Amino acid sequence: MSDTSLAKPVTGPDASTWILLTPALGLVILFIVIPALLAIAGSFFTIGIGSTNWQFAGLANYTRALNDPIFWLALRNNLIMVVGSIVLQVGFGTVLAAILDRGLPRGSTLFRTIIFAPMVMSTIAVALIWLVIMDPNVGALNTLVKALGMQPPTQGWLGDPDIALWVILVIAMWQYTGFMMVLILAGLQGIPRELYEAAALDGARGLKAFRHITLPGIRNVLIVAVLITTIGGFKVFDLIFATTRGGPANATQVLGTYIYQQAFNLGNMGYANAISVVLLLIAVLLGWLQLQVSRRS
Amino acid sequence: MTGHANHKGPTGWCRTLMGGALALSTLTAGSTAMAADPVTLKMWALVNENYPELIQTATEEFRKANPDVNVELESIPNEAYKTAIQVALVGSEPPDIFFNWSGEDAARLARSGLALDITDLGAEEGNYRNVLSEAWQQAFAVNGRQYGIPVDAVSKYFYYNTRFFDEHELKVPATFDQLLGLCGKVREIDPEMVPLPLGNSERWKLNHLITVINERVLGLDAVRADYALETADDEIFTNPDYEKAWGKVLAMQAADCFQDAPNATSPEVSRSLFSAEISPMIFCGTWCMSIFDKEGFTDYALFRFPPMTDGASDGSTNMVIPQGFQISAKSEHPAEAVKFASFLVTADMARLYAELRGAIPSNPEKVGEMDATEQFKWVAKDVGSLSESFSVLDVMLEAGVSEAYLDMGVEVLNGSKTPAEAMGVIRTAAVEGKKKLAAGQ
Repeated sequence: MSDTSLAKPVTGPDASTWILLTPALGLVILFIVIPALLAIAGSFFTIGIGSTNWQFAGLANYTRALNDPIFWLALRNNLIMVVGSIVLQVGFGTVLAAILDRGLPRGSTLFRTIIFAPMVMSTIAVALIWLVIMDPNVGALNTLVKALGMQPPTQGWLGDPDIALWVILVIAMWQYTGFMMVLILAGLQGIPRELYEAAALDGARGLKAFRHITLPGIRNVLIVAVLITTIGGFKVFDLIFATTRGGPANATQVLGTYIYQQAFNLGNMGYANAISVVLLLIAVLLGWLQLQVSRRS
Repeated sequence: MTGHANHKGPTGWCRTLMGGALALSTLTAGSTAMAADPVTLKMWALVNENYPELIQTATEEFRKANPDVNVELESIPNEAYKTAIQVALVGSEPPDIFFNWSGEDAARLARSGLALDITDLGAEEGNYRNVLSEAWQQAFAVNGRQYGIPVDAVSKYFYYNTRFFDEHELKVPATFDQLLGLCGKVREIDPEMVPLPLGNSERWKLNHLITVINERVLGLDAVRADYALETADDEIFTNPDYEKAWGKVLAMQAADCFQDAPNATSPEVSRSLFSAEISPMIFCGTWCMSIFDKEGFTDYALFRFPPMTDGASDGSTNMVIPQGFQISAKSEHPAEAVKFASFLVTADMARLYAELRGAIPSNPEKVGEMDATEQFKWVAKDVGSLSESFSVLDVMLEAGVSEAYLDMGVEVLNGSKTPAEAMGVIRTAAVEGKKKLAAGQ
């Protein structure tokens, strides 16, 4: 066969391509593009929840966000969720994956299943389980802490503004570390064993081998894990809504819950749209970043 | 019991006769065929004890006279309901009939055109306006028009464990100071016992408490204009007694009335502490009676929030919140919806409602005949003896001010805001709320 027989002429999409794409494209336009455009348009108006009267407000909703301390507090909490989740979920996930990669004497599958199990549960169910565990009156956690001779927080694990966000980070870690572990384990198992054997001959073991072989070997997986966690940290809503609803005293307020509160509790749909647009921009930026990184890798 | 098991199938000649009659009626009554089309009314309500049973019985009874109307009930939990109903009403398939509290919640839906004006439909023969008193009808009136059918009212009382009180010779407090003293006595009996559990994780529990405390400290006349956002910007919520009212909450906390972490305790857990006899008192709604009864705990009695020696109120008032059903403005069957909701307030249904729910029905005609508990009879009598009633802040206030009051309850309890700081935040929200109302939002 000649080279020319292998090369296919580059042409644009034919009719069948469009026919196959149409259903998916239709759904994307209906459920993502149109709502997003409406949200962008709505952010320039003052609208009540059931109001058909849209009053043009220009950039007022955006300037309001700039001057709204709770908006900034929510954004800060999102950043804490992002950084905290990376450290806890990706960090612990890496450690657990390394343990599994080295091989346990027995029960490796059971260990993996137990760690991964919370991931398949609904976040609302996870929240309810932890609400019961951390209940200050009947919860097991307080009983355990007291049994260890310590004093549980007097305002409760989720009622104390100083610790509530950190407690939520721990719950999120409990739920998602298993996923990170599986992701990173796949990366670890893709590293050829010969590299470690050759490095061992050259005297590189332990941390040196981890730094020069393991880390570069799972670099791309780690980048994906960090990006997934980052996007998740900005999108977080359900876990916080089901546990604290952004309280106490806005201590766990994130952009997702703040948008909800503005839209449905206070009826400020225009302002909620403006904050949604800000969140959308952050998500688009992160999506673009993810695309760049995956292209490079 | 419908007695369907006793019905016998029609015989051959009877079937022929019926078939003929059906054919004849089809030919002659073509114009009524449209009216007889089956109608299914979608109804939304809160998840409540005995509610599905109540609506099922009501539907069966209603269908005897209206065989073409069916009702599908969807029950939604309290917190989720507040959002879900707003979203559903602006959507394309809202419920025909939906539960709502009277006050600002209902009025907002009326102003935004989402709730139907049922003034005329309600006055049709057999419908609720011919049955309920004018005072009850006022609960859902906005600018002189009717936007809802009041079904019942709820109130709030202190519940106390009568066995515990008798055993330790404790007396029902006649003043707020005596209530504080009672908390101390309970702690003396058992330092681990929580005298008055407060489950404020959803914020409304303390909101109900501060509603009554505001009234006891300031009196109704002093708060009316502020609550309606009719006071001038520089004067709204500036009465120093609002701070004094928050101080009373702190006094209850200082007297060890509440448990640790009230902001992390759910209303359900606090209620269970009382029904499991772990705590001897609780401030709970009248709906708690049916819950305690169902849980098998009946050794309790109730008392009204006592007056304060340094307050403006004599304690002869109480919080009474009428609630009922509104009709969606988008309902395709408004006449049937009003008819069914009106059926719920007929004398027999109101009696059944009171029996199953332990609620105070808007139609009291047959309440005297019902086999009620002693506690229910006491409540019914007490509500009847009130000099005046008032609604709760989170239902009565403009949404932004209501949110501020709910948030400040958490902050004051946590000690992260002083009463003065809390009132500062509420004042700011009130000024914002006035602007929103002025802009017609």
